[in-house]
Amino acid sequence: MTEMIRTVGLTKYYGRRRGLAGLDLEVRQGETYGFLGPNGAGKTTTIRILMDLIRPTGGQATVLGEAPRAGGTALRRRVGYLPGDFVVSGGQPAGELLTYLGHLRGGVEAGRIRALAERFDLDLKVRIGSLSKGNRQKIAVVQAFMHEPELFVLDEPTIGLDPIMQQRFLELAAEAHKAGQTIFMSSHVLSEVQQCADRVGILRDGKLVAVEAVEDLRRRAVRRVEVRFDAPVRKDAFGKLPDVGDIEVEGNVLRCRLTGRADPLVKALARFGVATLTVEEPDLEEVFFVYYRGEEGTDAA
Amino acid sequence: MLRSVFTKTLWDQRRSLLAWAVGLTGIGVLYASFYPMVNTPEMRAALESYPQAMIDAMGFDDVTSPAGYLGATTLGMLCPAIIIIMAAAVGGSAIAGEEENGRLDLTLAHPVSRWSVLLQRCAAMVVSMLGVTAALGLALLAISGPAQIDSIGPANLVAGALHLALLGIFFGSLALGLGAATGRRSIVYLAVAVVAIVGYFGNNLGPTIEGLHWLRDISPFHFYQGGEPLRNGIQPADLAVLAGTGVLLVIAGGLAFDRRDVAV
Repeated sequence: MTEMIRTVGLTKYYGRRRGLAGLDLEVRQGETYGFLGPNGAGKTTTIRILMDLIRPTGGQATVLGEAPRAGGTALRRRVGYLPGDFVVSGGQPAGELLTYLGHLRGGVEAGRIRALAERFDLDLKVRIGSLSKGNRQKIAVVQAFMHEPELFVLDEPTIGLDPIMQQRFLELAAEAHKAGQTIFMSSHVLSEVQQCADRVGILRDGKLVAVEAVEDLRRRAVRRVEVRFDAPVRKDAFGKLPDVGDIEVEGNVLRCRLTGRADPLVKALARFGVATLTVEEPDLEEVFFVYYRGEEGTDAA
Repeated sequence: MLRSVFTKTLWDQRRSLLAWAVGLTGIGVLYASFYPMVNTPEMRAALESYPQAMIDAMGFDDVTSPAGYLGATTLGMLCPAIIIIMAAAVGGSAIAGEEENGRLDLTLAHPVSRWSVLLQRCAAMVVSMLGVTAALGLALLAISGPAQIDSIGPANLVAGALHLALLGIFFGSLALGLGAATGRRSIVYLAVAVVAIVGYFGNNLGPTIEGLHWLRDISPFHFYQGGEPLRNGIQPADLAVLAGTGVLLVIAGGLAFDRRDVAV
């Protein structure tokens, strides 16, 4: 079996409010799949259907080849889940909660919990209630990874983590990927999934609007570039560069948008003395905008 | 204590269970120890001047005998009130409360079925009820000499406490089942309050009102004290009705819980 997650025409309505409007999703064995979309697009709804916390209004979903409800406890044993909103009772120490959750899974080695906790600088003895949001999120990561499942379903796993811990998480995800485990993770930050995902699905208004290999997406993504030269430059010195648009020059500062390979721009810049160079990572909205500008037109029609 | 939902639930509630036990026992002992003050000719005379309707409403018709006093005050009003509030709190938090504060997702995403979570939480509720009422029973036994209520006898005191436990289990099951079915504590609290108030006054006043006799026959309080466990010992048939109704409520709640969406 190569499809770890598959949904066909999956819909979910909460009364009249839309959750999902016909989602077709396919996650292959061994891949890391980034599930991207703005808030309210239906990411958490999808994930909660996959974990059998809510039932779809229509369509089908299978996880590891089984319907979430029919698969029941045997299916959930094989899945590591990280909820979008990790809420647990604050009165217990982290170690107590993790031991308990391990028992629910049929036992997890204490050494594995300790090793993961150490990796994330998580003190297992401290009461959860006294931990910061970021530190609680570490517990969420540890509980999802401690039992080494075949499939991870992670809802915004790095939310609240500081950049160092985000990096640790990405390392952990990379290791799981190397070990052949499949990761399905949602995010609203492209740069985060870019670093670890093979493919990215973009969700908008309850539908998957595109599935792209991360490489392709990166190639197409728009970056804002700002260059400060040692001396003022003339705009026409950058006349026609491939993949560069919206060039503006103000004294010794040049701003432009880069949509593909950086090489031609870099070569052109190199003719002058460059003091500073800033490349802003593309944000998701911008990727949407460029990517679906055409589609907006057809939507309206 | 961290091996199952059942033990973890009890472990997490250890402090609040201790508080419920202390509260219940404290109130029970306090009121039981007032008995020597009620057992006087002056008090009897005062009670005789009360209107009969009021005496009926409070269940005070035999309040000067030890069993009558304990059955009407301690075990008739205050302890049931505490045990019912505890039942609403414990039963309501088991599923509905966990769901409302967003904790249920994580548990249910683990390899444990909804039925299993519900039944293990139910078992924890039953154990809690038996625990706090056992504490009350032991405390009443301990003070029965000085409080001049020892004519009730240890076996009947235990029966009274056990009946109280089953009253708590009935209301706990109502709270648990309704919470599992709806996921909302407000509904649980409302239902428990309505059943408790209608049941209480239905049991005491129903027979005095034309056409409302049936209210007593279906009141949980009728099965709790109608057989006068403090005089006649354990009433297995009454306990079976309370327990059986509780089982049905939990099963009904479980059927709905298994089908519905868990709220975020």
